[in-house]
Amino acid sequence: MALKSDSRQWGLGAQLLHWVMALLIIGAGIVGWYMTDLPNSPQKMKIYAMHKSVGLTVLALVLLRLVWRWRDNRPADVPMPAWQARAAHAVHVLLYGLMLVMPLSGWLYNSASGYPLRWFGMVNLPSLTGGQDAALKSLAHEVHEWGFYLLAALLLAHAGAALKHHFIDRDETLARMLPFLRRRTAPAVESAPAATPIPSAASPDQSPESRP
Amino acid sequence: MMRLAAALLLLVPFSLCAKEWTVDPASTLSFSGTYQGEKFTGHFGRFTAAITFDPASLAAAKFDVSVDVTSITTGNADYDEQLKAPEFFDFGKFRQSRFVTTAFREGDNGLVADGTLTIRDKSRPTQLKVTFTPAGDGATLDVETTLKRLDFDVGTGDWADTSAIGNDVPVTAHLVLKPKG
Repeated sequence: MALKSDSRQWGLGAQLLHWVMALLIIGAGIVGWYMTDLPNSPQKMKIYAMHKSVGLTVLALVLLRLVWRWRDNRPADVPMPAWQARAAHAVHVLLYGLMLVMPLSGWLYNSASGYPLRWFGMVNLPSLTGGQDAALKSLAHEVHEWGFYLLAALLLAHAGAALKHHFIDRDETLARMLPFLRRRTAPAVESAPAATPIPSAASPDQSPESRP
Repeated sequence: MMRLAAALLLLVPFSLCAKEWTVDPASTLSFSGTYQGEKFTGHFGRFTAAITFDPASLAAAKFDVSVDVTSITTGNADYDEQLKAPEFFDFGKFRQSRFVTTAFREGDNGLVADGTLTIRDKSRPTQLKVTFTPAGDGATLDVETTLKRLDFDVGTGDWADTSAIGNDVPVTAHLVLKPKG
C-alpha cells in the first residue's frame, strides 16, 4: 500500500492515523469514564496520568493528521444519497472538532485545577491558566464531560455507518480504510493518467493495487 | 573601684541569661514539595515558638517550636484533603509537630541549630541553617532545612513512590521577633 492515498483507497499514512487514533480515543474514553469514581490512591493518580498522556498524544496526532490530510490525496466519494453525504461530512467535521476539543478541555481542566501535567512521566507541559481558576475549571469540566457524550454518540454513528456501507450497501467505504480487505468491485478500466495527485479526484486509478 | 566592681557584678546575671523573644504573628512557616515533577508550595497557619537567642551566648540559646499540623495548606483543596489522611499527617492521631534544639554551632556557611524534629510519631535529629538579623529593638530569624518526608512517614504505603511525590521537602521559616517583657 502506498503511503499516500489514491483515488480508490486511503494510503498507509491516513490508515495508520485513523486506526491508531481510534484505539487511543476509545481507550482514553473507557479509562476516563471508569477512573472518576475511583477512591484517591496512587493507583488512581497513575491511571489519570495515563489518560492525560494518551489525550495529549491524540492532540499531537490530530494536528499531524490535519496537516497530512491537507497534503494527502482523497479517494473519490462513494456514491450515496445527498443527505447521507451531508450527514457523513457533518459527522467527520464534528469528530475532528472533538479530537481537538477533548484534549484541550482536559488540559484546561487540569491547569485550572492546579495540577501538573506530565506526558508519560517524561516531559512536563505548561499550565494553560498559570494557576488555579475555579470558573475555568468548572467550564472545562462541563465541556470535557459533554464532549465525551457527544463523541461517544458520534463514534457510534460513524462506526455504524461504516458497517452499514459494508454489509448493507456493500460498497467500498470501509474496505478502502482497511489494509487487508479485498476490493469488492473490479476496478473500472479506464485510461487515466496514473498518479495525478488531484485532491478528491473522481477518476479511478489505473492499477488495482498501486504500490509505492 | 569597689563601686565599679559592684556595678560589674550586678551586670553578670544579665549577661548569663540570653535574650528571650516573642514571635510576631507576621511570622511564616513554609515548605515546598514536588508532585509529578512540578513544585508546589504550602505553609502552616498556626505554630508557636519559644525563642531564646543571643548571638553572643549561643550556649544559652534555645528554640522550642510547636506546629499545629492541621493548619497545613497548599492552596489546592485536593492536596490538602489528601494530607489529612492516615498515610500522610493523619490528623486523627497526630495534631502537633515539634522541634526542640539541642545545640548551636558555627557551620561552614553560617550558624547551625541542631535539634530533634518530631512529626507524627517519628523523631529525627534535624539541622537548621539559622540567620539572625537584629532590626531596631527586634530581630528577624530565618531558618531553612530540607527534610526527607519518608523519614517521618509522611506519604507511606503506595504513596512512598518518590517518582510521584518527591522525598525532599525544603522548609523555611521567617520569624519576626519582638523583645520579651
